Amino acid sequence: MLENLFKDLSLIYPEIIVSVTLLLVVLFDLIYDKNKTIIPYLGLIGLFAALFYSLGSVDIETHAFIIGDTGNKFGLLSLDPFGNYFRIIILITSILIIFFTKSSSEIHSISERSGEFYTLLLGMVLGMMFMVSASDLIMIYISVEILSLSSYVLTGFTKLRDRDSEASLKYLIYGSASSGIMLFGMSLIYGLIGSTNIYEINEVLQTTSINSIIYSFALILIFAGIGFKISAAPFHFWTPDVYEGAPISITAFLSVASKAAGFALLIRFVKVTFLADNIEGNWILLQGFDWQNFLIIISVLTMTLGNFAALWQDNLKRMLAYSSIAHAGYMLLGIAVLTDQGLLAVMIYFLVYLLMNIGAFYIVMIIANNIGSENINDYNKLGSAAPFLGVSLTIFLISLTGLPPTAGFISKLYIFIALLDVKMIAVAVIAVLNSVVSLYYYIRVLKHMFINETDKTVPEIKVSLNDVVFILILLVPTLILGVYFSPIVDFAQAFLSILVN
Amino acid sequence: MLTEFGKIFVFIILAGAFVGIAIFAAMLIRPKRPSHEKDLIYECGENPEGSPWVKFNIRFYVVALIFLIFDVEIVLLFPWALVYKTFGFYGFVAGAIFLLVLFLGMAYEWRKGDLEWARPKINRLELNKLLEKKEQQVS
Amino acid sequence: MELYDIIFYLFAAITIGSAIVVVNSKNIVHAAFSLLLTFFGVSGIYVLLGADFIAVVQIMVYVGGILILLLFGVMLTNRITNVDIRSGSIQVIPAIIGLAIFTAILFWTMTSTNWKSEKFELPTTTAFQIGDILLSEYVLIFELLGILLLIALIGAASIARRDKE
Repeated sequence: MLENLFKDLSLIYPEIIVSVTLLLVVLFDLIYDKNKTIIPYLGLIGLFAALFYSLGSVDIETHAFIIGDTGNKFGLLSLDPFGNYFRIIILITSILIIFFTKSSSEIHSISERSGEFYTLLLGMVLGMMFMVSASDLIMIYISVEILSLSSYVLTGFTKLRDRDSEASLKYLIYGSASSGIMLFGMSLIYGLIGSTNIYEINEVLQTTSINSIIYSFALILIFAGIGFKISAAPFHFWTPDVYEGAPISITAFLSVASKAAGFALLIRFVKVTFLADNIEGNWILLQGFDWQNFLIIISVLTMTLGNFAALWQDNLKRMLAYSSIAHAGYMLLGIAVLTDQGLLAVMIYFLVYLLMNIGAFYIVMIIANNIGSENINDYNKLGSAAPFLGVSLTIFLISLTGLPPTAGFISKLYIFIALLDVKMIAVAVIAVLNSVVSLYYYIRVLKHMFINETDKTVPEIKVSLNDVVFILILLVPTLILGVYFSPIVDFAQAFLSILVN
Repeated sequence: MLTEFGKIFVFIILAGAFVGIAIFAAMLIRPKRPSHEKDLIYECGENPEGSPWVKFNIRFYVVALIFLIFDVEIVLLFPWALVYKTFGFYGFVAGAIFLLVLFLGMAYEWRKGDLEWARPKINRLELNKLLEKKEQQVS
Repeated sequence: MELYDIIFYLFAAITIGSAIVVVNSKNIVHAAFSLLLTFFGVSGIYVLLGADFIAVVQIMVYVGGILILLLFGVMLTNRITNVDIRSGSIQVIPAIIGLAIFTAILFWTMTSTNWKSEKFELPTTTAFQIGDILLSEYVLIFELLGILLLIALIGAASIARRDKE
C-alpha cells in the first residue's frame, strides 16, 4: 500500500510543489513581517519548478491514488497528457499573472497584505491543477471548492471600492449555490450508479442502460456547477459584475486559468464518463443523454448573449468580461462536435486565448494605473499619446476578434474546421455571424483610441521597460503564431490523448 | 429495543414534555393579571433603558469565524483519531501533515493579531489634560 | 417499521416547518433561531439513515458553529433587530409552477427510479469506517481538506479583519 502511495506521490510532483510553496508563502509572511517583496518571487520559484516537472512528464498516462485493498482499479486522479497540457496552461498563466500583479497599482496599494494575496493565488492554482486531472466526483468537488474559496476572497481583496465587495459577495452567493446544485447532481448520480469514480460510472453505464429523466436531470445539475466556472449561459450572470469589480490581475486570471480548468474538467467528464466507442477520433457517446445537442444549444446561447451584451458596454473590463463569455461559447462548440479534432481546436484556442486575453487585460491595467479609469470615453486619443500601447491593444483586440494575421484567427479556424468536419454547417454560420458582431465592439475601442476627438487634455501614459517586455512576450507570439502556426498545432497534438476505459 | 440514539430521542421527548407539561399546568392554575410593568424586560428591578440589543464588538465575529474553521478540523480529526493506530506510522504521518497545515493557520492567526483583543489606545496627553481638569474642578 | 416511519415524519415536519418560519419570519433573530430547529431536524433524519457520525457533525458544526456565527453577525449589525426585514412573496405564480414541476420530477423519479442498493449490515458506529477510508482511499482528499481549511481560514480572516489605520 505504501509503495503505491509513494509511486502516486511521485506522479503529482507539480501539485505537491505548489502546495509546499503555498505553505512556505504563509510561513514567510509570518516570519518576515516587514519585508514582503520576497513573497511573489517565492511563488514564482514554486510555479516554475512545477512547470518544469509538468513539461518533463509528458508521456505519463496512468490512474493514480488507488490506495487500500478495496479492489478498485481507478483512483482519485487520472494523469494523462491532456490533463498535463491544461496544467501547463494554468501554470504559464499563473506565472504571467504574478508578473502582472507586480506592475498593478491596485496590488501595490495592498502590499502589506501580499502574503495573503499570494497564498490565495497559489490556492487557486492548486485547485485548478487538481481539477484538470480529477477523476472522482468527490475529488472534482473538493478541487472546485479550493479554487472557488480562494477566488471569492481574491475578488474583493483590495476593498478599495464598494463594487469590489459587491462583486465578491455576488460571486460567493452564485458560486455556493451552483456548487450546491452540482453536489446534488453528484449525489443523484451516486444513487443511480453506486460509484463516484467516473471510470466506474462509465463501466456501469456500458453494461446497464439508465434512461430516465432523473439521469438527465442529474447531469444537467452537474453541468450547472461546471458551467458556472466556465461562465456558460445561463450560468454566466456573475461574470460581468465579478470581472468588473475584481482587481484586473485577478480578472485576467479568472478569465483564462479558471476557465481552462473548468473546460478541462468538462471535457474529461464528458469524454470519460459517457464514451462508448472512439472511432478514428469520433467519440460515440452512450445513449441516455444527448450531450451533443445540449452543448450546441448552450454554446450558441453563450456566444450570442456574450457578444450582444458586449455591444453596450462602456467599461472595458466589463466588455472584456462579456467577450470572454462569448469565447467560452466558441470553445464549447469545440467540445460539442465530440471529435478529437474539436478537442485539438479547444486546446489550441486556450493557448492563443491565454496570450491575447492576458495581453488585453494588461494594457487595460496600465492605462487604469495612469488615468484611473476603465471607461471607454476616457480612452479618447490615447492611441496617439501612447502609440506602443495603442498598437499592441489593437493587435490583441484584432486577435480576439479572430482576424488574420493574428493567432486568434488560427484558433477560430480550427474550431470551424472541426465543425465542418462533422457537417455542422448551420452552427458554423452562427459562429461566424457572432464573430462579425464581436468585430463592432472591439473596433469601437480602437475608434475611441485613434479617431475620436477629445476636449480634455490627453493624459500622459508612463510605460516602463517591464511593461514593454511583458507585452512583447505576449504580442510577438500572437503575431508569429498567426502566420506560422504549426508549432502550436504540433504541441497540442502531442497532448491529445485522454485516459479512457 | 432501543439503540443509543433511541435513548437520546427518548430524552429529547421527555425534556420537551417536562417543559411543556410544567408550563401547561402552570397556565391552568395561575392567576392572570397582566400589567405594563410585568411586560417590561427584567433589568435588576430598575426601569429598563433603551433596546436590550447591544452592538457586539466585531472581534467576536473574527473569533467565531476561527472557531468554526477549527470546529470543522476537529470533525475530520475524530475519525482519524479512532483508526490511525491500525495504520501504524503511516496513519500518524497522514494526520500529522493535516495538523501541521492547520497549525500553520493557527500560527497565522496568532501572528496577525486576530486572537488579540483590541484595547482602546490611551492617549497619554489627553488623559493628563482630563485629570488636570478634574483636579481643578475638585479644588 | 411503524415507529420508524412516525419518527421520520416527525423530523421531516420539524425540518420543513421551521424552514418555512426561517424564510417567512419578519424578525431576523427569530429566523436565526428557527434555523436551529431546521438543522436539528436534518440531523435527526441523518440518525434515521444510520449516519450517526454525520448527525453529530451536523449538530456540532451547524448548530455549534454556523448558527453562532450567524447570530453574531446579526448582533454585530447595529439596530438590525428593530428593523423589519422585507420577506414578502413576489412572483408567486411562477414560483408555484416551478416548485410543482420540481417536486413532481423529484417525486416521480424517487418512486419510479431503480435506485442502486446493496444489502449492507449497518454498523453501530460509522466513525471507524469513515476513518478507514479517509486514511486509505481518500488520503489525498484528507490532506487537501487541510489545505482547503487553511485557505478558508486565511481568506475569512483577511476579509473580516479591519485594516490597520
